[in-house]
Amino acid sequence: MAKSPKTSFGRRGFLKNAAAGAAAGAAALVGSAPLVEGQTQGAQSHGKGAHSTDAPAPTEAQLFREAGNIRPPSVEVRKITKPGSDLMVETLKQLGIEYAAANPGSSFEGFQESVINYGNPPNVMPEWITALHEESAVTMAHGYAKAEGKPMLAALHGTIGIQHGAMSIYQAYYDRVPVVMVAGNDVDFIPAHTAHDMAGMVRSYTKWDAQPETVEDALVALQRAYNEAITPPMGPTLVVLSSEIQKLNSPNVQIPTYKPPQFPTIDTSTAGEIAKGLLAAQNPRINVGRLRTPEGVKRSVELAELVGACTSTEAMRGPMSYPQRHPLCGPGADTNYDYTIGLEAEGEQAAINGPGLAKIAEERDVTHIDFKGVRTPANFGRGNRVKSAMPLEADAEASLPLIIGAVKSQMTSDQKSRIKERSEKHAIANHDAHVAALEKAVQAASAGWNASPITTARIYAELWPLIMNEDWCFSSPSNFSGAHNVQLWEHNKPYSYLGGQGAGGMGYGAPASMGAGLAAKARNRIVINIQTDGDMNYAPGVLWTAVHHKLPVLSIMHNNRAWHQEYMFIQYMAGVRGRGAERAIIGNTLRDPFIDYTKMAAGYGMAGEGPISDPTKLQAALRRGIASVKRGEPYMIDAITEPR
Amino acid sequence: MKKISKSYFLAAAIIAALAVSATPVYAQRGPATVGNKPEPTSPVKGNAVAGKKLYYSYGCYACHGYTGETGYRAFVGNWGHLGTDQEFITFLRGRVNVAPVIPSDRMPNFSENVMSNKRAEDIYAYIRTFKNHAAPVKDIPSLSEIVSAAKREKN
Repeated sequence: MAKSPKTSFGRRGFLKNAAAGAAAGAAALVGSAPLVEGQTQGAQSHGKGAHSTDAPAPTEAQLFREAGNIRPPSVEVRKITKPGSDLMVETLKQLGIEYAAANPGSSFEGFQESVINYGNPPNVMPEWITALHEESAVTMAHGYAKAEGKPMLAALHGTIGIQHGAMSIYQAYYDRVPVVMVAGNDVDFIPAHTAHDMAGMVRSYTKWDAQPETVEDALVALQRAYNEAITPPMGPTLVVLSSEIQKLNSPNVQIPTYKPPQFPTIDTSTAGEIAKGLLAAQNPRINVGRLRTPEGVKRSVELAELVGACTSTEAMRGPMSYPQRHPLCGPGADTNYDYTIGLEAEGEQAAINGPGLAKIAEERDVTHIDFKGVRTPANFGRGNRVKSAMPLEADAEASLPLIIGAVKSQMTSDQKSRIKERSEKHAIANHDAHVAALEKAVQAASAGWNASPITTARIYAELWPLIMNEDWCFSSPSNFSGAHNVQLWEHNKPYSYLGGQGAGGMGYGAPASMGAGLAAKARNRIVINIQTDGDMNYAPGVLWTAVHHKLPVLSIMHNNRAWHQEYMFIQYMAGVRGRGAERAIIGNTLRDPFIDYTKMAAGYGMAGEGPISDPTKLQAALRRGIASVKRGEPYMIDAITEPR
Repeated sequence: MKKISKSYFLAAAIIAALAVSATPVYAQRGPATVGNKPEPTSPVKGNAVAGKKLYYSYGCYACHGYTGETGYRAFVGNWGHLGTDQEFITFLRGRVNVAPVIPSDRMPNFSENVMSNKRAEDIYAYIRTFKNHAAPVKDIPSLSEIVSAAKREKN
């Protein structure tokens, strides 16, 4: 289909005329509307001008504008029966995109209008989510994807929106998380908001981008953006949508048939070899790293149960890994493993790991920025650090059905009974090991139990009994609040803990939690956000988003009134230079004044309580907070805490 | 000279910690196991009241907690370099004065020109007032429940 012809009345011309009309209207307003006293005096003090009798009489249109009845400009009428953006939204519906988060921008007005009005019911799949900053929109999508294992959408407004969202895009890229983004591009509107190659600004840290010129190409691009985002290495993708094709009447355009992506798998022969190794082993082990989706987690459990292998997990460090308290998860009854396979993890005999970011960096980093972390071993693939007898670059999740199938076809009845016996021994040993570790952990958590400010361990310890029987998701990185979840909590769902920021950047925890809240909202789940104070202050507007969209997120401030890591760094540096640590507070602490997060939350309409420095008042506050989020009302507890 | 970004190192450290270690570095820290070393009984020369102010102004609480029981390196139950005030002072002065390129959150060095012996003795006196305030786990319902719930899972 041909590119749409320009309207005879261009946007630029419209703006110029509108500006002239507005100026005339403003003059008319001064001359005709009653003014309050101060304004009158002010106007008089400027002498001739505001009250100039030279001002032209208001036109009918200006009077209408003054009264709030703005008439549309006289332009050529285009009858739109099927705008391109309706088709784009229909494409997103077919892809199962649940939410679209954005800070409003004129460059995607056509697209936004379609999301909120097209379809029956409108504004569902995707639902439009109001973000107060593009960084929040993208990181919400980041958090959502980590919880659900699939992308939602973030919409960005032109060059400025892309740059506002850039930091969040960078984190999602490093975290290898699927996020689909669209950026509006209105070439006839504000020149500073458009560019020849808009995606170029973030190309080196996105996985794929396109700037389609037709509606048909845009629909194909959205499908491909989705597929590229969810195939390893997963990452953020961007489609630049011109305002023109969003608005172009496209009654005859068909949405192309969606073809799911092909995930790279091991071949059947290799799967058979692995199955043989697992079945022949007396004590096999499966190391499970971070898989792509909940389905992968399910498959890893199926394989472990089939072969009676004890497993390791990364569920305490991030999403989509083996359930921590599954009977087979742990060291097992015997730690002399004779066949170890890694699924997105290390494995002595075989290790299946999807490609890392280095795989795409060569092609994407066209300006040779050369982000250093991209080429570190951690990002080559998540389990290629230990030499394996059989390193396999493939997607573990997609390869699992092949291994499971081979195990089922090879297994003998003798092996079945041996596996059953072994599994029972592992279950007992793992349970005992867990209880022993827990007893040690609670002993450690008792230190400073009644101290004020409140210990971070107490926050985690008080929370766990209150949420252990709920369907919960712990959304914020725990490394700055002691990571007590690792020892005290049980991470049994693919979304139990969403892990770190991706690239270690602050400003992630709050919006990622709201993204997890979006995932939780329709699933009767609650979200726990232990929110560091430094992180909270980057874009606190997400608190309003949480209230507005009724996100079940309980935020507990880890309010140590400092950027504590940096405080310690400066203390050390001052010690090295023999200058003392007394001024290390400068630039690293949040004092004079202290920030009142309950008031901050209240300003955004969020209920909450605090500051709480008395540890004996914490549990009751947590109970109230959990009750609130179970009603779908986000809640803020400002806990004054020990530094770590 | 090429500028080395702290945030890069922080991110790299976090990534490395997550990637390499079975237990994250940050999780290996935290409160010491209570009661694993005896509390010192040596005489104390300093003034604990003055020491308390210095403990805050020098930022000791940042890593050792407000009561010495928590943080990166708790004192209570882990009195390694705190047997006597002289031992403490020697430790403060004897920190390896290495200037790392990578940011460090280890114990800083305190030379005499930034912390006099008198001040160090006062801080030591305050540290010696720290006690184990933790009630037995069995008397803390939340902690008891955590273990009980885990035990119940077996059934």
